[in-house]
Formats: sequence, C-alpha cells, structure tokens
Amino acid sequence: MSALAGWGDDYFWGAMVVLRIFAISLVLSVIIGLIGSAMKLSGNRLAETIASAYTVVFRGTPELLVLLIVYFGAAVTLTAIAQSFDASIKFIDVPPFWAGAFAIALIVGAYMTETFRGAFLGVDPGLVEAARALGLSKFQTFMHVRIPQMWRLALPNFGNHMLSLMKDTALISVIGVEEIVFVAEMATTVTLKPFTMYIVVALIYLCITSVITLVVMALEKYANRHLAASR
Amino acid sequence: MTFDVELVFSSIPKMLVGLGLTLELLFLSSFIGLVLAIITLLMRISGRWFLVAPAVVYIYIFRGTPILVQIFVIYYGLPQFEFIRDSVVWPFFREPFWCCILALSLNAGAYVSEILRGGVLGVDKGLLEAASALGISKFHRFIYITSPIAIRLSLPAYSNDIISMTKATALASTVTLLDMTGVARTLVAQTFAPYEIFISVAIIYMVIAWLVQKGFGLAERRMSRHLKPTTG
Repeated sequence: MSALAGWGDDYFWGAMVVLRIFAISLVLSVIIGLIGSAMKLSGNRLAETIASAYTVVFRGTPELLVLLIVYFGAAVTLTAIAQSFDASIKFIDVPPFWAGAFAIALIVGAYMTETFRGAFLGVDPGLVEAARALGLSKFQTFMHVRIPQMWRLALPNFGNHMLSLMKDTALISVIGVEEIVFVAEMATTVTLKPFTMYIVVALIYLCITSVITLVVMALEKYANRHLAASR
Repeated sequence: MTFDVELVFSSIPKMLVGLGLTLELLFLSSFIGLVLAIITLLMRISGRWFLVAPAVVYIYIFRGTPILVQIFVIYYGLPQFEFIRDSVVWPFFREPFWCCILALSLNAGAYVSEILRGGVLGVDKGLLEAASALGISKFHRFIYITSPIAIRLSLPAYSNDIISMTKATALASTVTLLDMTGVARTLVAQTFAPYEIFISVAIIYMVIAWLVQKGFGLAERRMSRHLKPTTG
C-alpha cells in the first residue's frame, strides 16, 4: 500500500461513511417507495396526484441539483425558522451527512415507487382474492401475500436502483462530507498524485458495486427457487 | 423567508446561457456515446473472445463507478502523467469541457451498448432463421432484420438513458464548467437564495426530460404502428 502514501486508513474510513450513507438511504428509500407505491395504487385522487408529482419531479431533476436544494434549502429554512424565535441567530449549519442521505433517499425513493408500483400490479389478483377468501385481514394479506410476491418481481429493478444509489453517494463530497472522493481530494493536495488517488476511489466503488451485483444475483436465485425446482 | 420572483426573472438570461452548454454537452456526448455503444455492441455479439473480453471489461468498469469519479479521474487525474502533458492530446485534456464530454460519452457508450444488446437479444429467432433459409447473408440479416427490430425494442430504455444523461451533465459544474447547474451554483453563492434559483433550474431540467420522453414516445409509436390493432 505504499502507493497510497499513508492515506489507506483515510480511504477506509471514507468507505465506511459511504457504506453508512448507503445503508441509511437504502432503508429510507424503500420506506418512501412503499408509501409512494401505496399512494399511487390507493385509488384516492389526491394521494395519486401527490405521488405522481413526486416521482416526476425527482426523476427529472439532476441528482446533484436535488442534493444542493436539500442541503442549502434546509440551511436557509432552518435559519429562517430559528430567527423567528431568536433574532440573534445568524446561521444554522445542517449536517451535510444527513442532508446527503436524505437527498439520495428522496431521489432513489422516486424510482423505488415506480418499481414497487409495477411489482404490486404484477401480483396475481387470484392470490390476493384467495387470501381474502381464507379470512386473512387486509394487513395480513399485504404482509404475507402481496409483499413476498411483489418482492420477487421487483428484485431486478431494485438491484439496479441499489447500484445507482451507491454511485450517487459519490456526489455528497460536493457538500463536504468526508467520504472517499473527499479523501482523494485531500490526498491529492498533499501527494500531487491525482490519478493514483482517484483511481483508488474508482476501484473502491467498483468493488462495492460488484458485491451488490453478486448479492442481488444470489437474492434473485433465492426468490425464484420454487421455479428452479420445477424444471 | 419569501420566494423572490423578481430574482428568478432577472437570472433567467444567465440560466439560458448555461442551458446552451448543458445541451451542447448532452448532444455531443450522446452522439459519441451512441457510436461507442454500437462499436461495443458489435464487439460484444461478435462471439470472438478477444473482442468480447475488452467490451465486457469496458462495460463493467464504466457501469460500476460513479460518473463523478470518472470525470475526476480524467480531468484531475490524467495530468499526473508527464507523457500526457507532453503529448498532442494535452490541449484536449486540459479543457474541462472535453474531459466531461469524454467521461459522459464513455459512460453513455457502456450503458447504451447494454440497452442495444437487450434489443438484439429480443429479436425473434424465427425471423433470422427464415432469413437465412432464404439465403440472406449474415451481414444483410443484421442490417435489414435485426437492426430495425432491435432499435424499436430498445427505444424506451434508450429514452430513459438520454434523460439520465441530461441529469449527468449537471456534474460538469463540479469541474468549473458553467453549465446550467454551474450557473445556478454561482448565482446561489452570490445571492444565497437557493430555493428560487435551484428550483427554476430544476424546472428547466424537467422540461428537457419531458421533451425527451415525448419525442421518443412519438418515435416509438411511429415505429410500432404496424403492431397497432386495426380498427373495425
């Protein structure tokens, strides 16, 4: 690791930040996706409109712009709110880590909404009717029939969204989160070896995305195991 | 806190200058990307390992890393090497614009070649068998049978990719380029009115995305007009 000139541990901690953001945004975006798809399929005009507007806006706006709006917008809003209580407050700093995680979750949540919506529509209505006829409550049907069935259909797209989520985490260096791109910038100013430093970042991302791809492949195999057995 | 409409209107001319650069980045890199994608696709489906392997590695690398990192490696990274600074390509790599074009094109090439491959794999085998039974050569089969169908099949995914490309051009602002996002960031630094400026720019991006979607929707409808059920 001599090529890294002692920056190895910084990269390690940077990678940990990336993984933490990834985990937090993934959980949030799945929650947003489930709520969004439920709203789209609810049959309620207002809920459908809100969910559609949400997906259109967040799928049409550059990720970087969303990140900047969330980060700077939150700072301005919170400052204004705080000033209405205490006029002596000049500026409130929003933690960039959470602003970043939240912004990425909002972006990926819009894609998840569409994927989950499609997957819920793909569940055989006969299964749902059968579950209801057997006396399962709506909630039980949702948890034990709809979700497990939908999950299988959503997996391929879900995997792609996980990959783009992982790649979106590179953007948060722009708002000053100390993740690996940020580490590379710091290391470059000291070592004057930009190529080496950024290639390390690329390799770290390549490793993480490869692992995600493998995990998704394994999950798909697991989810479709009943189909494999019949062949 | 108020929404300053005046500020939005006064900054529209500057944003339109940025829009020009954004569109330039989009058109150039999607065109070069498409060329790269077709070359990669042909390598990928050639069936010769020494052509397939580089194509697979290229796709794997560019789909597995963030575009931001690719831009940084090309723009900040390459000048590390003496032989690049001394070579004829240096005037090219010195410009953030061309570095962005290169990164975005390489990225688009990797994604689009996978989209096109999906289209090629989706072509009905029976058609190709029928064609070869009729004595049509492999080359003509590809040009007259595989290509038109593959293009139609890959259009929806391709339009999505153009929209992602539009969004990716915003990354040019990270290497000092004043595209629409770059202009917006400068304006916000001057006025500190993030909502007004960023939201106006976001709306312009959304309009572009909408136009792309509508345009490709029309193209797709036209190409699939033979599939429509006949009336009556």
